[in-house]
Amino acid sequence: MHEYAFFLGCIAPNRYPGCEASSIKTSEKVGIKLLPLEGASCCPAPGAFGSIDLTVWYAMAARNLVLAEQMKKDIALICNGCYKSIWEVNHILKHNDELRSQVNEVLKEIDMEYKGTIDVFHLAELYYDPKICGIQKIRDSVTTPMTGAKVACHYGCHLMKPQKDRHFGDTENPMWFEELVAAVGAEPVQYRNKMQCCGAGGGVRGYDIVHALDITNEKLINISEVGADAITELCPFCQLQFDRGQIEIKEKFGDVYNIPVLHFNELLGLAQGMSPQDLALDLHAVDCTPFLQKVL
Amino acid sequence: MAAKSYDNPELNKKLADQRYHISQSNPQFTKDVIKTSRTIANMCYQCGTCTGSCPSAPRSTYRIRLFMRRNVLGLENEALTDPDLWLCTTCYSCTDRCPRDIAPTDVIMAMRNLAFKKDIVPRNFLQTVQLIYNSGHGVPNNDVNRAARKRLGLTADPPTTHMYPEYIKGIQKILDHFGLKENADRIIKGE
Ligand code: SF4
Ligand code: SF4
Repeated sequence: MHEYAFFLGCIAPNRYPGCEASSIKTSEKVGIKLLPLEGASCCPAPGAFGSIDLTVWYAMAARNLVLAEQMKKDIALICNGCYKSIWEVNHILKHNDELRSQVNEVLKEIDMEYKGTIDVFHLAELYYDPKICGIQKIRDSVTTPMTGAKVACHYGCHLMKPQKDRHFGDTENPMWFEELVAAVGAEPVQYRNKMQCCGAGGGVRGYDIVHALDITNEKLINISEVGADAITELCPFCQLQFDRGQIEIKEKFGDVYNIPVLHFNELLGLAQGMSPQDLALDLHAVDCTPFLQKVL
Repeated sequence: MAAKSYDNPELNKKLADQRYHISQSNPQFTKDVIKTSRTIANMCYQCGTCTGSCPSAPRSTYRIRLFMRRNVLGLENEALTDPDLWLCTTCYSCTDRCPRDIAPTDVIMAMRNLAFKKDIVPRNFLQTVQLIYNSGHGVPNNDVNRAARKRLGLTADPPTTHMYPEYIKGIQKILDHFGLKENADRIIKGE
């Protein structure tokens, strides 16, 4: 078993608990154990919070990192926004002595010190990594293949971009997420402008919801064009934007899509035999039933 | 010859050529942006690849290239008082494509930080600060969700600051160190 401190963030535990439950269960089936990271907070939100004061953003993310350092565990997480804060601040502080001593001066007030002793991973990259899990292990864990379902992959922004600081390679047309989706038996479909943002980030969802939804709507047009039965993503905030966003788009623009939106862990959960009740799919704004009827 | 024009008068006005004078420029602004953004923002040669990659550009007057120019010219006031500053989704498409290896996204983040220092900030950003100060979460738990969590065999509150509120004090100390909550409260009250 590979053990990680599970950094939850906000939206997964507090809006889509199925993401949290499925992550714990699906990872255990492929040899990954997620341990609670007690006392963790919001990452804090890179857009909404980082826009105000990056110095405080560094310090707040560092506090979460120190909690994991104290556990002597690397962090695994399931949200691109959290990845941006937790991975990136870890990366910056490891390489920038000036910022690191600034941050440690603040952390001293709460008897903490950032040491730079752990690494941060998105659970999806651990699934993809043959040294930890790998595609074959994911495939072997599937008991209910999602056969016949066309699934559109939304990579989101903050996991892979900016490319030069990350380690995921090509950000124009990556295919590794599709490989994961194919491993659960679904058919990944390609669509126009796949790497476009969901529209929610940078505080824009809160600042100008119509603007944010208009971006989402463009993605939904492109996704519906290829007849996708569902959207899968790696970020509960993108999930919220696509899922609740479809209701808001219907109200504001009158466009109707009804495309269910599932976090990859929820999809994997279904494929490993978890029931829709185990995933609280009833909390999703868009009804998942048509998709479930197709695959279960 | 007629200047290039758009259907949208707001856009026309905004994107029309303008004259700037040295007196409008603050060279310190350029330096501050570069320091906070940690990117070589002054290297921009205005190719426009960033705007061409931007999901916000086609649906608003927001032009990332314009902000890059304002930075080089030190047009602090133009940059910080333009409401478009807050329309960047921080998607980093521009950053991945900039041929000068600049991170325009981080330039925007730096300008937002500098705007906040002048009390220029949309309300929703401040609310996130207040929520985190009080609960540790930007998106806190609620009763519907607590019930759902229990159904899933999870604890009603996640094992974060929600289950261990004793950690909130440390978070408040960090935020207070920077006076962030105080500032947020003051700006919201003053509106
Ligand atoms: S892509 Fe880079 S060099 Fe080109 S205008 Fe934008 S910031 Fe400047
Ligand atoms: S990061 Fe901001 S400015 Fe750059 S392309 Fe995305 S929305 Fe546009």
